[in-house]
Amino acid sequence: MLRLAETACQTRRVAGRLRVLAVGFMLHAGSGLPCHAATVELVVHDQLGAALENAVVFVVPKSGASPASPTPAVIDQVAKAFLPKVSIVEAGAEVTFPNKDNIKHHVYSFSPAKVFELKLYSGIPAKPVRFERPGIVTLGCNIHDGMIAYVYVVDSPYHALTDATGKATLGGVPPADYTLHVWHFRMPSTAAVSQPIAVRAQGASAAVTLKVEPDAPVPPPLE
Amino acid sequence: MRLHRLRSRIVAFYTVLSLLISIAGLGVMNFFINRNAQAQIAEELLIGDRVLRRTLSDKSHQLEQAAGVLAADFAFREAVATRDRDTLLSALENHGRRIHANLMMMIDPDGNLTANTLDEDATPGRFGYPALLERARATGRASGIVSTGDRLYQLVLVAVRAPAVIGWVAMGFAVNDSGARDLGALTSLQVSVLARAANNDWHLIATTIDKAAQPRLKTSLMPLLTAANDYSGRPTVIAKDLTLLAPLMIENGEPAVAVLQRSLHEALQPFDQLRNLLAALAALGLAATVLGSVAIARGITGPLSTLSDVARRIAKGDYSEPIAVTKQDEVGELAAALHHMRTDIATREATIMDLAYRDPLTRLPNRALFNERLQQAITSAKRSGTAISVLTLDLDNFNYVNNTLGHANGDLLLQQVALRIQSALLRQTDTLARLGGDEFAILLPAADLVGAREIANRVLKVLEAALSIEGHTVDVAASIGIVSCPQHGQEVLTLMSRVDLSMAVAKRNKSGFAEYDVSYDQSPERLSLLSELRQATENDELVLYYQPKLDIAAGQITYVEALLRWQHPRRGFVAPDEFIPFAEQTGYIRVITQWVLDTALKQTAAWRLRGLELNMCVNISARDLLNPDLTQHIARLLKRYGVNPDWIWLEITESAIMDDPIRAQQVIEELHNMGLHLSIDDFGTGYSSLAYLKRLPVDELKIDKSFVLNMNKDHDDAVIVRSTIDLGHNMDLKVVAEGVDCEETLQLLGELGCDIAQGYHICRPLAVDKFEQWLADFARAPRRAASRRMN
Repeated sequence: MLRLAETACQTRRVAGRLRVLAVGFMLHAGSGLPCHAATVELVVHDQLGAALENAVVFVVPKSGASPASPTPAVIDQVAKAFLPKVSIVEAGAEVTFPNKDNIKHHVYSFSPAKVFELKLYSGIPAKPVRFERPGIVTLGCNIHDGMIAYVYVVDSPYHALTDATGKATLGGVPPADYTLHVWHFRMPSTAAVSQPIAVRAQGASAAVTLKVEPDAPVPPPLE
Repeated sequence: MRLHRLRSRIVAFYTVLSLLISIAGLGVMNFFINRNAQAQIAEELLIGDRVLRRTLSDKSHQLEQAAGVLAADFAFREAVATRDRDTLLSALENHGRRIHANLMMMIDPDGNLTANTLDEDATPGRFGYPALLERARATGRASGIVSTGDRLYQLVLVAVRAPAVIGWVAMGFAVNDSGARDLGALTSLQVSVLARAANNDWHLIATTIDKAAQPRLKTSLMPLLTAANDYSGRPTVIAKDLTLLAPLMIENGEPAVAVLQRSLHEALQPFDQLRNLLAALAALGLAATVLGSVAIARGITGPLSTLSDVARRIAKGDYSEPIAVTKQDEVGELAAALHHMRTDIATREATIMDLAYRDPLTRLPNRALFNERLQQAITSAKRSGTAISVLTLDLDNFNYVNNTLGHANGDLLLQQVALRIQSALLRQTDTLARLGGDEFAILLPAADLVGAREIANRVLKVLEAALSIEGHTVDVAASIGIVSCPQHGQEVLTLMSRVDLSMAVAKRNKSGFAEYDVSYDQSPERLSLLSELRQATENDELVLYYQPKLDIAAGQITYVEALLRWQHPRRGFVAPDEFIPFAEQTGYIRVITQWVLDTALKQTAAWRLRGLELNMCVNISARDLLNPDLTQHIARLLKRYGVNPDWIWLEITESAIMDDPIRAQQVIEELHNMGLHLSIDDFGTGYSSLAYLKRLPVDELKIDKSFVLNMNKDHDDAVIVRSTIDLGHNMDLKVVAEGVDCEETLQLLGELGCDIAQGYHICRPLAVDKFEQWLADFARAPRRAASRRMN
């Protein structure tokens, strides 16, 4: 799935494909010891070259799963919107959904990774929701069609969301061969794109281009 | 009504005209109504097409909305999310029923069909309408019409979100009769939908048309459907319906069309009332035209018929009734013209009648009118049994007046005489007529002989006083004949003949008037039977006697006068005086004169052959002078017998000449030019003027024997004879004296210088043989007479 591409032109020409321009420079060739954690610099663009914010990036060692240390997460509902819109949690993490609006919400997910339902409630639900299976969980509110949020459950500690410039940095990544996964909610498919990435002591960097669709329009308010 | 009558033609013309106008009007109106109706329907169909498309669009929208709401149903989404096929199918059916969908399908986000209520066991595959799905991806929902060959569905595709798109639910709504009816109700059109199956067969999917009419619909549409590619998109008339094909946008597969129709007949129904109204109006107009034209035609032909009647009456001579048309129009003008014509004709006819029946000189009725009135009087007299009388009147000396005072004065005389006679009449009904010349007639329709006599006396009395003509005093006398009907006859001809006879008697007797007596017709002196006279010429009963005429100076016989004698087988000798006047009256004198001329000329020629150089003297009557053939006849005889005209002397009495002086002069001149000699017989009795005689080419005067007979005793007669001889000689005329009865007279004549003497003293008329003998004797002693004279 991943190939080197010489020019940006080429990357633009072939749509629907993920291209990673890997600029690797190895200071210690042949040294495979993870004595030092390296940093992976990533930048994600859409097919038009625009920086993609809130893209989920994470690497998974090819050698196997790396131990995760799931930390709880919070997804607020503020002004009939989930905040943040995109969250990355490690498998097993518990997420609480505080309702900060003065109206009720009915948070649900029919995603295979986690099916749950928080029937109409206000305030903080009694129990957080535990996301155990890796995968993408799409959250909605049953009474507010416009509310949507994504929880990407990963089983890797090396993950990040791109910032407004489309950049993300994965720190503390032991040099090794990894599979880089990139996903953005505007992608037509629920499957993340993945490509191999070799992290060396000096670190690694990759530029990823995603084919995305326009952001879903916000439904207009009722008259 | 016959069509050659003016009225019929006027009525027929306007009726046909009105009919044609009505038919043309109705035809044009029909045409425009049809055209407008078609245009209107076409417009309706086009509107129907737009409504159809709008309705489909609206329906799609509604279905999309409904489907969208359904797809957002939490439980439905939950069911979809279970990924359990059976649950999914049941949920699809359950929710599909909620919005009356006929078909539900589930498609996963990648475009794979995961469930289909139509075919539950079908193996999953790609969704059949990717274009629809592509449109749905853009907006979250899409709809379109899909065809399965025998069914059409309006298919709505909406996203199922949780809240991201987790799949697509497709809901199909079958196109059916109910939908067609809805659209039909909206557009007032017949709506049908047809779809083509894979085998090119067209299926009727939905329609508003009755089941019975459906097969016919498909059949009638087939030509248009099979040629759908060439379809103009314009409304077309199919089987009395205006039809518009509206192709439907089909997502994939075979085409389908909506057929919009409107019955022309139905559309024209509102116009039927208008059409009927106009037809009724046209019929009313036609009736009014017929009635009006009949009235106008009557107005024209009625007066014309009246005028025709008037014209027929005029043709029959009835001018009495005035023309009754009082109109001011052309017919009135015609009537006025006819009226003028009637007056003019009446005036002209009166003039013509006047000319035909009036004597222009005296303004009295003429002979024709007199005879008519006499005929009428006879007829009515026969009926009433009364007597009528007829008088004829002849002036005794009119010729004298005419010749001495001139014709103009003669005319004045006649006019005055007419007035005098008229004044003598007593009754309004008495008719005075001028028969011609100086002859008048009076009809007394209610008078017997006594009354007639009274009138005759009155007439004679009024004529006694002298008339004054241009300063001349003229005495007139008249002779009147009287007859009475029925006493003297009952026929116009008989009466007129007998009254003439009576008048002649009155004239001869100088008796003033004479009533008819049967003896006038039956007297032995008057051998009136024409047949006897005719028989006489045929049986040689007529003979010529010859009387010699002595040339006094020479003592020779150089002339001989031929005298007619009738040796009647029973009566014996008949004197000329007894039958010549009758022959003159009947016109038979012509035959007699011809015979006389023939015989005399033949005799002359015979004598001349024998050396007897005698000049032949023949008497010609007044009637002969009027015979236009006379001169030619004489010329023929001269030629036939080889007689020199110089040998022939024609004796004409003075009175015969004076009866018609102009004609006489003409004939005499002709005879003279032929070389014949003319002698005036009975000179001194006929009122002839010397001025007139001077103009006549005559050679001889023959002194009337009444003067000669007594001249030896009567001094006056002797003076007349002498004067006449002198007069004749002065005019270079030979003078003959007849009636020489004695030697003394002969001698006296010799002394007076008379040229020729004739009389019993010399020789009486002799038959031809005795004459010849006498002549031979005379020749032997020619001097006897002369010597006698000498003595």
